[in-house]
Amino acid sequence: MARRYVLVCVLGIMAAFTLSAIAQEHANSAGSSAVVAPAPGAPTAREATHRSAMTVAAPDAVEERVMRLEGEKRFRTNCGRCHQPPHKFPPRVMAAAIRHMRVRAMITDEDMRLILKYMTQ
Amino acid sequence: MRIISANPLERTRPWRREHPQCSSEGSWRALCARVLVLAAVMATLSVCRAGAQSDSNFDDVKPVPILTGSTGFISNFTGGQPDLHPILTPLVLVPIGRQWLFETRATFETDMVQLPGRSGFHGGTVQKEVEYAELDYIANPYMTVTVGRFLTPFGIFNERLYPVWIRNLQSDPLILPIGIGPSNASTGAMIRGGFKAHPKFNVNYAVYFSALSTVSHLDSDRFAGGRAGIFVPLARLEVGGSFQHGLQDARSNAFGFHFFWQPPALPLDIRSEYARSIQGSGYWAEAAYRLSQIPFHQNEFRRTQVVARMQQYFVGENAAEALRPANTKVFEFGLNYYFMDGLKASTNYGRQFGDAGDANVWTMALTYRFVVPLGRTGSE
Repeated sequence: MARRYVLVCVLGIMAAFTLSAIAQEHANSAGSSAVVAPAPGAPTAREATHRSAMTVAAPDAVEERVMRLEGEKRFRTNCGRCHQPPHKFPPRVMAAAIRHMRVRAMITDEDMRLILKYMTQ
Repeated sequence: MRIISANPLERTRPWRREHPQCSSEGSWRALCARVLVLAAVMATLSVCRAGAQSDSNFDDVKPVPILTGSTGFISNFTGGQPDLHPILTPLVLVPIGRQWLFETRATFETDMVQLPGRSGFHGGTVQKEVEYAELDYIANPYMTVTVGRFLTPFGIFNERLYPVWIRNLQSDPLILPIGIGPSNASTGAMIRGGFKAHPKFNVNYAVYFSALSTVSHLDSDRFAGGRAGIFVPLARLEVGGSFQHGLQDARSNAFGFHFFWQPPALPLDIRSEYARSIQGSGYWAEAAYRLSQIPFHQNEFRRTQVVARMQQYFVGENAAEALRPANTKVFEFGLNYYFMDGLKASTNYGRQFGDAGDANVWTMALTYRFVVPLGRTGSE
C-alpha cells in the first residue's frame, strides 16, 4: 500500500512539475532562445549587440556590458562543467543557489560575483 | 631488556612508548586537531578581510531560502529482470547572513520488482535517508569551513555528478563506493575553497576529517583526506586527485584521479575517474556529445545528447559489500533528450562482462530538477 502511495505521489509530482515546466518554457521561450546552445565559435546575439553598442554607449554602460558578457562566459564555463546551464531565476533565489554552488563546485569568488551579476540582471 | 628504537621521535616523545597502541591514532588526532584549530584561527582572522572585499552590487541581493532537488522515475532491466525505481531527492538551502549557509539533502526511494507467480511490481519499504546536513561558513574568498555531515569529496562523481538530473547515465560507476565511506558521506569537519592561483588557471581544494558513527542511516567511517584540482578556464579542462587515509580497521590508504574536459569548439563533455584502495580499483571514462551541430532539425537535435561510457572494476584484497564481488567490465551507450531546463528523458543500453557472468542492462528514466523559493523573491 505504501509503495503504491509513493509511486502515485512521485508520478503525480512529476506530472505537476512537467506541466509547470512546459508552461514556464512557453513563457521563457522568447527570452531564452539566445541562451540555449549557441553554435560553437559563432557570435551570440548578445555579443553582436555588444559589438554594435560598444561604439555609441557611455563608458559605464560599456563596462556594464563587458561585465555581463564576462559573467555569461564564466557561467557557461563553470556551471556547464557538470550540468546543463539553467534558466535565470529571481535574483534572491539565484543568490542562494550561487552560494550553494560556491561551496559545492568550489568556484572562485570572482567567478561567483560575475555569474551572479549576469544571472540577476 | 632495553629496546633501542631507530625512530628519533620515540626519544623525544616518551609517552608513545607507554601507549604504543595509541601512538598512530594519537598523532593523527593531534594533527587533525591542529589543522582544524589553524583553519578556525585563519577563518576568524580573515573575516575582516572578507568584509572589506564585499561588493556593493553583490551584497544588495539578499538570498532567500529555497527548496530544490530532483525527482525521477527509473526503470532498469538487468539480465531481463525488470525493476522500477522511483526517487525523490529534496535539497533545502538556508542562507544565514552574508557568510553562512545551511544545506541538507534527503532521499526517498524504493525498488519495485516483479515476483514469480504474481502480477505487478512489488518491493521493499521506502528507504528514507538524510544524505547530508552541513553548515558552511564562507570565511573568506579562498576558504569555506564546513561542519556536520557532508558528502565525502573523494573523486568527482559523489559530490558533483550524483543527482539524477545531472548524471548523463543513470547507472552508478562501479568504483563509486571507493573512498566515500558508508552512506556516501562523512561526519566531521572540512575546509574547502577555490581561488585564482594564476591568470590562466584556478585551484580548488578540500581537506576533511570524518569521525566514526554507527548511527543507522547516518553511519560514517573514521578517516582523513583531501582533494585538489586545477581548472583551466580557457581550455575548459580540470584535472585533480584525491587521497584518503583510514583511521580504523586496516588503516589503509585510497587515492584517485579525475579529469574533466569540454573542448571549447565542440558541444562535447569528456569525464573520467580512477580510484584505488584495498577494497578494489577501477576507472570509468565517459563522453557525451550534444547534437547541436547538425544543420537540420536543430530544435530537436540541440536537445539531444549521445553518451558512451566504459568502465572496469578489479576486486581488491578486502572486498567491500558495496562493491562488485568479481572483476567486471561494462560498456554503456545512452541517449538523452532535454525537453527543457531540468526535465530530461534518458535511455541507455549496457553490456556487462564479468567473472560472475555477462548480462545486458537497459535503463529508461525521466528526471526533473525543481526550484521552489521558501520566501519572498522580490528585491530587497
